[in-house]
Amino acid sequence: MKYILFFLALCSTGFYACKPEMLIAPSEPRKDISGNWQIIKATRNGTDLTTRFDFSPFRIRFTDSTYTIDNPVPFIVSRNGKWAFDDPAYPFTLSFQAADSGAKTSPLLFPVTGGQRNLIITFSSGCSLNTYQYTLQKAN
Amino acid sequence: MQHQPVQHKPSGKRKISAGVIWKVIGALLLLIIASCSITIDSVVQPSGVNGGDILPVTLNVTIETNDNQTSNFMVAVLVPKVWKAAQNATITFTSDITSGDQSMSVIPAGTPAPQGGGLDWPTLLATKIGNGGNLLPDYEWVAFYSNASYSVVANATIHATVSIKIKTTTDNLLFKPGYCVANSTDGLSSSDRYAASFTGCLQVNGQGDLIDFCNPQISTVDPRTSLDNDIVTLTFDGGVQSTGLDNASEVYLCIAGITTTGDSLTVCTQTDATKMTSLGLSKWQKDIWPRKLFNLADNQHLTRLRYFFTDATGGTRVGYAGGSTPFMYTFKCQ
Repeated sequence: MKYILFFLALCSTGFYACKPEMLIAPSEPRKDISGNWQIIKATRNGTDLTTRFDFSPFRIRFTDSTYTIDNPVPFIVSRNGKWAFDDPAYPFTLSFQAADSGAKTSPLLFPVTGGQRNLIITFSSGCSLNTYQYTLQKAN
Repeated sequence: MQHQPVQHKPSGKRKISAGVIWKVIGALLLLIIASCSITIDSVVQPSGVNGGDILPVTLNVTIETNDNQTSNFMVAVLVPKVWKAAQNATITFTSDITSGDQSMSVIPAGTPAPQGGGLDWPTLLATKIGNGGNLLPDYEWVAFYSNASYSVVANATIHATVSIKIKTTTDNLLFKPGYCVANSTDGLSSSDRYAASFTGCLQVNGQGDLIDFCNPQISTVDPRTSLDNDIVTLTFDGGVQSTGLDNASEVYLCIAGITTTGDSLTVCTQTDATKMTSLGLSKWQKDIWPRKLFNLADNQHLTRLRYFFTDATGGTRVGYAGGSTPFMYTFKCQ
């Protein structure tokens, strides 16, 4: 009898001990671009214009959902408005919805270079045959 | 313990060293490689074509093989970007080893060329073969592969006739077209594995400002196709001919923008906004953003630019061909 009780106790202990482990996959954080950004590199059809054209006064300020542009240069949009990623965790495009106009979308690269996060966007500001690529970095 | 020196016993037969063997193999390989070739024997191309018409070109090609190989045939054309040859060109060929017209298709940009170090065909062609002396940067190589691959046997001589038809645009231009043939296995790996040919200056009798890729220009505009919200680069090359600015230490832009309503907006003061950057050798350059330079309102758009180059006083003006007629640039996007 003692053996039976011991066996039952062992089984019930084992039964309660074998709970399935709940594994929670770590979630990728939303990419945060809030703040002021400046242009550190600009190309037109592959030609580097960074030192030839004065991009230095340009600033774009992103908040949670809006952007504002100061000292504009040829850009994907020319007015302030709203922005959105296609996927907040894994963004591949960045959309700009300027006030009173349709959304414009740019392919997005989001590399870290020299410890600094860069935003690389590609667009046409005038003729669609001309492609501009701007690399933006957080302004101090 | 005493170390004994190791002795090599001379053999009765004279040994051929490994170096000599490799040299012989190398020479044989060189002989084999050198015996494989592809050539463009002739290019049949009209000297001129009306803008908007189809430019017909025929390449007569000879391929000599040294080994069995199965590859796609590659034909590339160097054309003005504005023609959009990827969409507007068709290439077919006939040959000794095929029956009927063989069709070809554009190789999408970004597709790595064989043995091209990761470069795609347009980039590799521009790097290795160049631009054929075209002086404006608005050209492109567009490459085509045969839709089928072909097996060739060793030591064969194959003749191919390539037919290229490119729909031109109505642009008025002078251009030096270029042609290249190769295959999908060897790519441009060595000079005997491909052939390239550039023709003389082709005249396209179109409309609007002449876009002259062939002759040095005193002023050029880059890009050729743009709108007023683009960054437009104006260049003055005083080395092309003698002008009133030969000895100028500073050169400025005197420019007018013509709006869609016919208004003329002029910026002709010698300031930083109009000051050109010296590139040396009497060459000057200025990048402008027309919408800002002319302070355009949202509802204003430019159709043309009319401009001169001046000295620091504004007293000496140089226009088209060094004269007093302004240079003209028409905004367009097609």
